Amino acid sequence: MTAQAFELPDELAIDTDVARRVIAGFIRGQLEQAGFDRAVLGLSGGIDSALVAYLVAEAIGADRLLTVLMPYRTSSPASRADAESVVADLGCRSELVEITAMVDGYFGTDEVAGAAGADGGPASALRRGNFAARMRMSVLYDRSVTWGGLVVGTGNKTEGLIGYTTLFGDSACAFNPIGDLYKSQVRQLSVAIGVPDAIVRKAPSADLWPGQTDEDEGGFSYPLLDRILFWRVDKRRSVEEMADMGFDAGTVERVDRMIATSEFKRQVPPIAKLGPRTAGVDYLYPRRRPGSARG
Amino acid sequence: MQTLRVALAQVAPRLGALDANLGMHHDRLREARDAGADIVVFPELGLTGYQLQDLAAEVAMRLDDRRLATLAGETRGLSAIVSFVEESGDHRLFIAAALIEDGEIRHVHRKLFLPTYGLFDERRFFAPGDLLRAVPSRLGFGVGIGICEDFWHLPVPQLLALDGAQVLVNVSSSPGRDLAATNEVGLGTATSWRTLMRTYAQLTTSFVVFCNRVGVDESISFWGGSEVIAPTGQAVFSAPLHDEGLFLVDIAPADIRRERIGLPLLRDERPEWNLRELRRVVAERAGLAEDATADPGAEAGLDVSPAEAPSEPIGFDAHRGRTTRPMDKGA
Repeated sequence: MTAQAFELPDELAIDTDVARRVIAGFIRGQLEQAGFDRAVLGLSGGIDSALVAYLVAEAIGADRLLTVLMPYRTSSPASRADAESVVADLGCRSELVEITAMVDGYFGTDEVAGAAGADGGPASALRRGNFAARMRMSVLYDRSVTWGGLVVGTGNKTEGLIGYTTLFGDSACAFNPIGDLYKSQVRQLSVAIGVPDAIVRKAPSADLWPGQTDEDEGGFSYPLLDRILFWRVDKRRSVEEMADMGFDAGTVERVDRMIATSEFKRQVPPIAKLGPRTAGVDYLYPRRRPGSARG
Repeated sequence: MQTLRVALAQVAPRLGALDANLGMHHDRLREARDAGADIVVFPELGLTGYQLQDLAAEVAMRLDDRRLATLAGETRGLSAIVSFVEESGDHRLFIAAALIEDGEIRHVHRKLFLPTYGLFDERRFFAPGDLLRAVPSRLGFGVGIGICEDFWHLPVPQLLALDGAQVLVNVSSSPGRDLAATNEVGLGTATSWRTLMRTYAQLTTSFVVFCNRVGVDESISFWGGSEVIAPTGQAVFSAPLHDEGLFLVDIAPADIRRERIGLPLLRDERPEWNLRELRRVVAERAGLAEDATADPGAEAGLDVSPAEAPSEPIGFDAHRGRTTRPMDKGA
């Protein structure tokens, strides 16, 4: 027996058998309704995309899954090795698409100016990280055509709620099987479904620079952040009630601000209401309905 | 001993695909007949799928729709409960469940309670029904139909039983949620429903037949778990969660009499007293009568006065002339 690979707050524990069952049905349903039987996703070497790869393989079979590894030149070799361990374990199809030329082609390098011109060289890590995420999105949607499969999202509920995600980048997808699972629940489900231990145990990272970890950058541990989000969002506790439960009110208020400032990332952009029926306002159809599947 | 065979059609309708779902209903009715079923129960909106939104108007059927008549043709010597979007003559859309027997539509129940909260948005697209009726069936007992949310309102099962139902049927499209590790089936929704159905069966000393769909509409996964509960409150049969299938359950109608003799709760109900008290409560909640047992200053419908006096919009003070302000207490 190995020691517990992660901390799972009691209130966040889920029945992983039920979760796998529901998610497998969800994945199959999304594909069937759209007229697809294949899926594609970006495999980073982290736990979220690894879990989704296992869930998709469980739902439709590994032979119908294409995983795309999309490292940038500064990406950690360990991440790539972890991603490759998932591919090997699942036996799914895998492609390697280096995005270095795409990103450097825009920002430039020390030797050559990029499409962004003089502004590209001094670009911040944030700009570069967001751009890289959107290049990966572009690659996935291109492979979606060549592979004939839908792009599966790999963002979790924790990062979705605090907005730790790139709009039209890693958040872009046809559907997302784990977007309602907190990071702690992602870990619990990953253990249950057999994601390699090394991936479950390592510190979550956006892998934007060497040694970066989510928890250092955010200033929270995931179990604490997950608990705050769970009680605040799912269970509708007030800040005062949270303080009575032992949470630091200042921390809760900081999380509140992250939720509020990222609200726009969780919604479809508004359309100016002008005509009689407007998509998303008073033209309300299911995404998939008779006739909408690929023929 | 006489038994009746109930077939629970725990199916996964395709969203908006009326023709495909009609075909599936025809197939399941034949399958149930071949298996010796006396009654076949399909889930809420089994003919259309649940998350219809603006599609509701496009799949709606009048009761004289030829497709319903054709479907009813499958029920010679059989009873079935099927559910669809019904359009009335004045073009209101209802979530409806019809009892069809021997080729005829015998009764239509229009969903009374349309949840419009949380993940639900039914009242935006549908009109609520106004009638609740227990009706006789060719099976020799009274049937009372409710649709999903209808059974989250206490009076519904009681009224059906008092109106003569011995078998309460709830057809549902219940979305699974509240995934947890701390309850019997791992899904909060399923646990709540199980508790309710057992309670209704016991308190009305009736059979409860619960048919819930499976499959996926958009984000929502439906959890199945259809059940038949005996008048004792004990489950006769529990279908698996999430699995599609036609599940056959034999029940003994004699259990109804046995339970109602041994535990005469229904005999002891006092509907006239219910009615009297309800009339009083309705008047008090509307501010049309004084609540003699409420604290001074309590809002209509509440017995306890607030710590601070609420504002009193014109026309909202039902107790004018009384000592209504909390600050007067003990003065």
